[in-house]
Amino acid sequence: MKEVNETAPLEVDQHITAHSRYYAGTIGSLFYTTLRDEKKILGIRCAACDRVLWPPRQTCGRCFTQLSEKDFVEIGPNGTLETFTRVSYSEPVHPAPAPLIYGIIRLDGADTGITHLIGGVPFEALRVGMRMMPVFSEERHGDILDIRWFTPLGE
Amino acid sequence: MKRNVAVIGGGQTRHAARRHDVNQVELVNEAVRAALLDARMTIDEIDTVLLGNMEFFEGCHMTDCWLADGLGAYGKPGLKITTGGTVGATIVSAGAHHVASGLFDTVLCVGFEKQEEGDTGAILSGVAHPLYGRSMAGAAVGYFAMMATSYMAAWGAREEHSAMVAVKARQNARKNEYAHLKLDITVQDALNSRMLAYPIRMLDMCPASNGACAVILADEKTAGDRCEKPVWIRAMDTAHNEQFELDWRDVTTRKPIFSKTSAARLYRQLGVSNPLDYFDVFEIYEPATWAEMVWYEDLGMCGPGEGFRMIEEGKTAMDGPHPVNPSGGVLSTNCIGASAMLRIWEAALQIRGDAGGHQVPGDVRRALATAYGGTNWTVLTALSRDLDD
Amino acid sequence: MNKEPTERELVSIPITVDVPYRFAAGKYMARFLTELRDNGRFIGIRCPVCGRVQMPPRVVCAVCHVKNGEWVKLGLEGSLAGFTIMYLPLTDPTTGKAHEPPFVYGSVRLDGCDSVVDHLIDVEPDVDKVRVGMRLRAVFRPREQRTGDLSDIVHFAPVDNEQNRTP
Repeated sequence: MKEVNETAPLEVDQHITAHSRYYAGTIGSLFYTTLRDEKKILGIRCAACDRVLWPPRQTCGRCFTQLSEKDFVEIGPNGTLETFTRVSYSEPVHPAPAPLIYGIIRLDGADTGITHLIGGVPFEALRVGMRMMPVFSEERHGDILDIRWFTPLGE
Repeated sequence: MKRNVAVIGGGQTRHAARRHDVNQVELVNEAVRAALLDARMTIDEIDTVLLGNMEFFEGCHMTDCWLADGLGAYGKPGLKITTGGTVGATIVSAGAHHVASGLFDTVLCVGFEKQEEGDTGAILSGVAHPLYGRSMAGAAVGYFAMMATSYMAAWGAREEHSAMVAVKARQNARKNEYAHLKLDITVQDALNSRMLAYPIRMLDMCPASNGACAVILADEKTAGDRCEKPVWIRAMDTAHNEQFELDWRDVTTRKPIFSKTSAARLYRQLGVSNPLDYFDVFEIYEPATWAEMVWYEDLGMCGPGEGFRMIEEGKTAMDGPHPVNPSGGVLSTNCIGASAMLRIWEAALQIRGDAGGHQVPGDVRRALATAYGGTNWTVLTALSRDLDD
Repeated sequence: MNKEPTERELVSIPITVDVPYRFAAGKYMARFLTELRDNGRFIGIRCPVCGRVQMPPRVVCAVCHVKNGEWVKLGLEGSLAGFTIMYLPLTDPTTGKAHEPPFVYGSVRLDGCDSVVDHLIDVEPDVDKVRVGMRLRAVFRPREQRTGDLSDIVHFAPVDNEQNRTP
């Protein structure tokens, strides 16, 4: 028998495929169906903190107040670009192949930003502080890509 | 314990096959709010938040990040722990250490699983050793089935004994408003149910449930000031097994299998000579009926090979001398990340006299809660009503 | 926003994650798997303190915590320690394909080895045809099909030609 140190190293390739299904809950569902059917973006307002949060959620993290549908407010549709980047490499999990531009847009009326794709504009033209508008997808399914991307307002 | 630790409150969701109406954050928040209500505390009075669930079971990595809102964990110290099926008890163990150390006075422990959201088969296959057995990754039912055939061959137990355990669990659960499966079944119903992996039938096996459990632990002073019925954690022991040499499916082995090692250490710590005399109620983590019978033996409730006789003789019925799983056990509710915590919480409810329809008759001074995980852990928790008992 | 709660649609989002892995076997496991592949043979390792022969082989004895030293060649035969007849279509995660139910698999304790190896058992999926204690022998794939994995073994087959009946 070969000695342990004489044995060639052995590597084994495997992979795991896992299918999951995320339930949005009642508040999340209302957000997505409103996005899909009415092309409106909803945030949720915590009256105690006087803040409008995106994404909408049932508990305010800061003060633990229970929120509900009556606390929904429409935000945007336009907003201000807070930050952005261009991703130069592709991974299977990315929503589109590289080069991929995305950033954080603070929609009018919201206190937190939305991370989303940016399109219809060359990367070099983007500036922090630019005014942005959503471009909705023709076919919408009730997920965040019902907004195709954000693009500079006006241009 | 360096400082004494009490369970001063807790809560659980109504466990169910489907919870499409809530996302993961909202699910845990239900249990957290129930626990805060039970303890009459606000989230601001909680010093630290500990969270546990099965790794990636919901297709969500780092659930501690995404559940921070619902947990009330913003800005607070805390831990995320994953130890397989034992995690609910591991979280309480970690919480007890937090309080006992003197560094924290109040700890919120949360365990959950939103099992409908994930691909449990695919993820569980990742538990098997990648290079020694993954192709045969048998799912939990396969492992327990192999243990069952060894048990039957070694001791002469029969499928009827498994059916008796199934009936006890399902009938007890009918008295537990929070249980997932409440089934009015007979031994014959169990024996007629669909065979999954011989000898384990559908009614012999735990369900996949969506649910959460939260318990609040506190130091002695807080417990004395704030809680009418604190339940004391007198000792906890946790032991990790090894999958190959310490094969827990080998029911005749004399090796230091985790369940035996842990029980021996816990009993030594507490001065227990006979657990049947010492504890008034047991909440045992039993993913399958056969596991309950084997673990009667490993816990020293009876001798080797006698576990099936205990169920045959009704010794562990709710109104029997040594009630086991009055809650219906894991066989009735299995939101895995919460299951081990539910054993502790149910034991606490029994001690408090608050178990409602499934309260065991008689005085409950001391209880034993066990936890099991396919990652080869066990955690045992001994609870009592009085600190000096 | 003006729908009644009972009408409300509950949204769910499907997500598939496909993750590739490459595992390094390490020295001891590599030797074990290389023996399987090249020589169609099992090897275990013996603890100098308790004398147990362990498979898969490992650097340290799980029970005694001392370094294992002695490699032991094992035969192909052993006894069935536990089994089940699986009626569910279990997917082999390494291939993505399901084993066709019903099928028998179990834990085999090779002669001279202390621990077991789980594998398919080549018997009819009938409770009367399989029993704890029955004698089995590993059946290997031809050398050119072996890759250095437990799937280099096709299954364990009964040693005797006669059926292993329940006594």
